[in-house]
This record gives sequence, C-alpha cells and structure tokens, in this order.
Amino acid sequence: MSRRRVLAISVRLLQQFRRDHRTLALLFGAPLLILSLLGYLLRGGASVPTMGIVNQDSGQLGQVVTTQLQQSKSVSTKLISAGDAEAGIKDGSLAGYVLFPPDFTNRAAQTHAVTPEVHLEGSQPQVSQSVLQALSQSFAGLASQASGAGAVRFEPRVTFQYGGPNLDTLDYFGAAFIGLVVFFLVFVITAVAFLRERGQGTLERLMASPLRRAEIVVGYMLGFTVLAIVQAIEVLAFSLLVLHVHNVGNIGLIFLLEVLMAIAAVNLGIFLSMFARTEFQAVQFIPLVILPQVLLAGIIFPISTEPGALQILSHVLPLTYAVNGMRDIMIKGADLGWSALQLDFAVILGFGILVIVAAAATLRRRIA
Amino acid sequence: MAEMAIDVQSVTKRFGDLTALDSVTLRVPRGEVYGLLGPNGSGKTTLIRALVGLVEPDAGSVTVLGRRLPNLGVLGRVGYMTQQAALYPDLSVEENVRFFAAINGGESRVREALDFVDLWPRRASVVSTLSGGMRTRCSLACALVHGPDLLLLDEPTVGVDPQLRIQLWDRFQRMADEGTSILVSSHVMDEAERCRRLGLIRFGHLLAEGSVAELKEMAHVDRLEDAFIKLSEEKAS
Repeated sequence: MSRRRVLAISVRLLQQFRRDHRTLALLFGAPLLILSLLGYLLRGGASVPTMGIVNQDSGQLGQVVTTQLQQSKSVSTKLISAGDAEAGIKDGSLAGYVLFPPDFTNRAAQTHAVTPEVHLEGSQPQVSQSVLQALSQSFAGLASQASGAGAVRFEPRVTFQYGGPNLDTLDYFGAAFIGLVVFFLVFVITAVAFLRERGQGTLERLMASPLRRAEIVVGYMLGFTVLAIVQAIEVLAFSLLVLHVHNVGNIGLIFLLEVLMAIAAVNLGIFLSMFARTEFQAVQFIPLVILPQVLLAGIIFPISTEPGALQILSHVLPLTYAVNGMRDIMIKGADLGWSALQLDFAVILGFGILVIVAAAATLRRRIA
Repeated sequence: MAEMAIDVQSVTKRFGDLTALDSVTLRVPRGEVYGLLGPNGSGKTTLIRALVGLVEPDAGSVTVLGRRLPNLGVLGRVGYMTQQAALYPDLSVEENVRFFAAINGGESRVREALDFVDLWPRRASVVSTLSGGMRTRCSLACALVHGPDLLLLDEPTVGVDPQLRIQLWDRFQRMADEGTSILVSSHVMDEAERCRRLGLIRFGHLLAEGSVAELKEMAHVDRLEDAFIKLSEEKAS
C-alpha cells in the first residue's frame, strides 16, 4: 500500500469539500441543530400531560389524594365534573381522569384498599404512564404519612377509552410509522429523480420544448403517485397482515391518508429539489426536513409533553397531522365525521397543494 | 426578403463579469444550413440556448420562425440537440424518441426518425448500453422526431468518429434540402465547410459572416482555419 497514493485520495476528498460550502455547513451545522432540538425537547421545561380529578367523595380521603396529586410534577391537574372529564378524554384535552366515588373514604376504611376509578385516554402510552405514575406516587406519599394505620393496598380500577393494556409498543408506533415510512421514502426518491433529470441534461431538453412548467410538475406528481400508492398498499398490508398492528379503524381511510401523504411528499420532493444542484445536495435535505419532523411530529415524544415553543412548531409540521390522523383512525377508530380527522386530512391536502404550486412557481425555464 | 428562421438583434448576455454574448446580430433565412464556428467558451452554446428561451438576453431581441421569444408555442417547431446526448439512460432508444415525440407532438414519426439515424434495428436497446456514437444518433432522433422547421445542433459531432460524422452531415444536408433550417455549432473547420454560411464567433462577438469562400476572401487566405485566426486578430486590434 502506497502512502502517497492513499494520501492523494484523502487530500482530494477534503479539497472537494472545501469548495462545497453548503455541504460543510450541513456537516457541521446539522448535528448542532438536531442535538439542540433534542436537548430543548427533553430538558426545555417540558410540559406535562393534564389529568382531570373528579372528586365525589363524601369523606376526607378524596380531598387528601387530590391535594397530593396537585403537587405532582409528572402531571398537571384540573378539578372537574364527571361529564367534563369524559368530554375531555374524547376531545384529547385530558390524558385521563381519576374519579373518587362518593363512598371512596368508607370503602377504603372497610377494605383497606384504595380503589379509585382511573379512566385513561390511552392512545399514547407514555402519557398514560405519567398519569398512573402520578397517582401511585400520591398514594405512596399518603401511605408514608399514615404509617401505622395498617397496610392499605392501592388498587386502581383502570379503564382505557382507546387502546388499552393489550396494545404493545408496536401498536402505538406502528400507526405513526406507516405514515412516516411512505412520506420519507417517496420524498427522497422524488427529489433525487428530479435532480437526475437536471444532471443528465434532459431537463434542459424539456425546457426547450413547448412543455409548461406546471405540466412537468404535475406529470412528475402523477407518475410518482402511482409508485407511492403501490408502496402504500404494501406498507399497509405488511403492517396489518404480517405485523398485526392494532387497527380498529377503516382501512380505506388509512389508505386515503397514506395516499394524501405520498402526494404531499412527492410535491415536497419536487419543490425542494429546486434548491439543490446535485443529487448529493438533495440527500442533504433528509436531516433538515425529515429528522426534525420525526422528533416533533409526536411519533416518539407526545406533543402535549413538549416545551410550549416546540408545541407551536409541532403544530405547523405536516407530519404531525399525518401521525395524529393515523393514530386517530387506527387506535381510536375515527371516521371522517370527527372534526379532528377532518382537520388532519385538510392540512395534509392543503400542504400538498401548497408545495406543488410552489414547485411549479420555482421551476426555472432559464438556465441562467 | 425571404422570411427568417432566426433573427437575433443586438443580443447581449452577461453572467456576472463575463460577457457571453456581446451585441450579437445574426439572421438565418429559412432552409439554410448555418454554421456557428468558434472555439470553446466563445458563446456558441449561450447563443443557441437564447434561441430556445433557456437564456434570457440582457439586451436585444430573439425572433425564431417569425415569433419573438419568449414564446412557448414556437418551441414545438424547433428541434434542439444539446451538446451532451441528453437522454434517459434507463429507457430504450425507442422509448426515448417516443417520449420526446409525445411532448413535442410527433408521435406518428417515431419510425421515420429512427430510420433516419439508422437506429430502428437497435430500437429496443437500453440507452445506457449504447456506444457514444449511437447515443448521439439517438439524441438527434429525439431532436427531429417532431419534424421541426428549425433544427439547432450544439456541437453534434463531438466525440463522433469520422465515418459517422460524414453520415450525419449528409443527413443534415438532406433535411435542409427538404426545407428545414439548421443552425449547427462547431469548432471543427472541415465540417464548417459544409455550411452554406458561417458565423465566426469569439469572446461573445460575431466577428464575421459569410460563405466559406467569402470568409477566405475577406481574410485573403486559402484556408478557413487561417481566415478564422486572421479575422479574430483583426477584430482584436
């Protein structure tokens, strides 16, 4: 092995990067951006899920537990009526609620068991976990205060509005990932294909033909949508038939949402490829476009637990609505009558239209 | 006056500090084979791109087949062969030609175009497996499949062996005889001699125009090559 020849290769590589400022910026900028985002997400005074407390207890215990819960750091609490609590779970504003029945104190005294009713929204396991944790900590605190009064068992009666104890991690993540996989792959393929058109010179030929810019963009969209639909079918079939990801919703709706996402991804790919000169640069969009969305779309970290400022950002990212929609359909069995799902569909459709118009407007006929 | 296929009036184009075209005026009557002769970087490609609206002049006007650019409609009557054989490498010869036929409106002439460049027997070959010369021919077929009234050829014979070069020029001549106007750029002097008229271009200036004989006479030399050198020196001084 010749040291001179090996070094020639290494030096040449570094020389090439010296002139590619954009790649350098990304190489050293992107990690800081992503790590900052992650740091802020996890340490930036994260918000906690909200749980309701319905205290119907005629004795003292309900009030004591309520006071304990209100001091909890893993949830924020809200004293409300049973009706409002039920509504809060349905509209997603509450992660769950605990109900102390009228005979709560009496029964605890008779049976030496504390048996609150816990109703969980259930579609996001981390959030449900926070609620249960806050509750058990309150009772643990209570038990230590009342030491000597004999062992009191903590036996909450937990019910889930959606999902439940039978759902595993894949059931929760599967719904989100079905959307993500299609979005991600379609985006990358479209962006690279469009740049290949530029690199091999055929775009110049197209631009010297009577083709309108919108015809090129819409043609691309239709072509890739065909591929994306086939991919969506494959992903869906594999998830449901092979992985048995939990689904209580309408398969047609899941598919429709996937197709809308695929179209949005195709259009985003075309649009962003306008800002890259080479396929190499297009690949660089992945950490900038995809990673923040994966972090902030609620796939891994529930949006309700993000710091406030990031929640705002999450709510402008299209993937957030896709993930929401998928979970609403597959875990909650939502249909198009749900206003939340209508919003998800509308946002993704709107985003797709926005980027296709932007792509057609950005595509330059002129070489210079 | 015969109607012009190309009418370029005082076109100037700058890229930053570089003046790629400096007040170029050029007229090509219909049915003529016009050769744009100049060294690399002289402005040939920029001028051809201006003729299909890919380059927007900073000053001056470009009129093609009687239509002032920008004009999308007239592009359907223009055939443009780029310097590199711009083709889809994963498609077959016929699929490439058929695609460009479809976007330019010449679906019925695919066979004719492939016969013209002798590629009909190789129509099923995938472009990425073809030799450079065959790619050039395929690229030409894509440029003329819609039967354009004006054909723009940007250095069509670069990297082409002498035998194929002669064949291609015979074809260009045949098309011109049938009424197609052709503008072809080159830096090869011997093929320039086949053009009815030549424009010598250097540093974005059109130095001189005329038939081969006229240019030699202008420079008082016997060879076109010498004429080119002498005329560009005269212009520079």
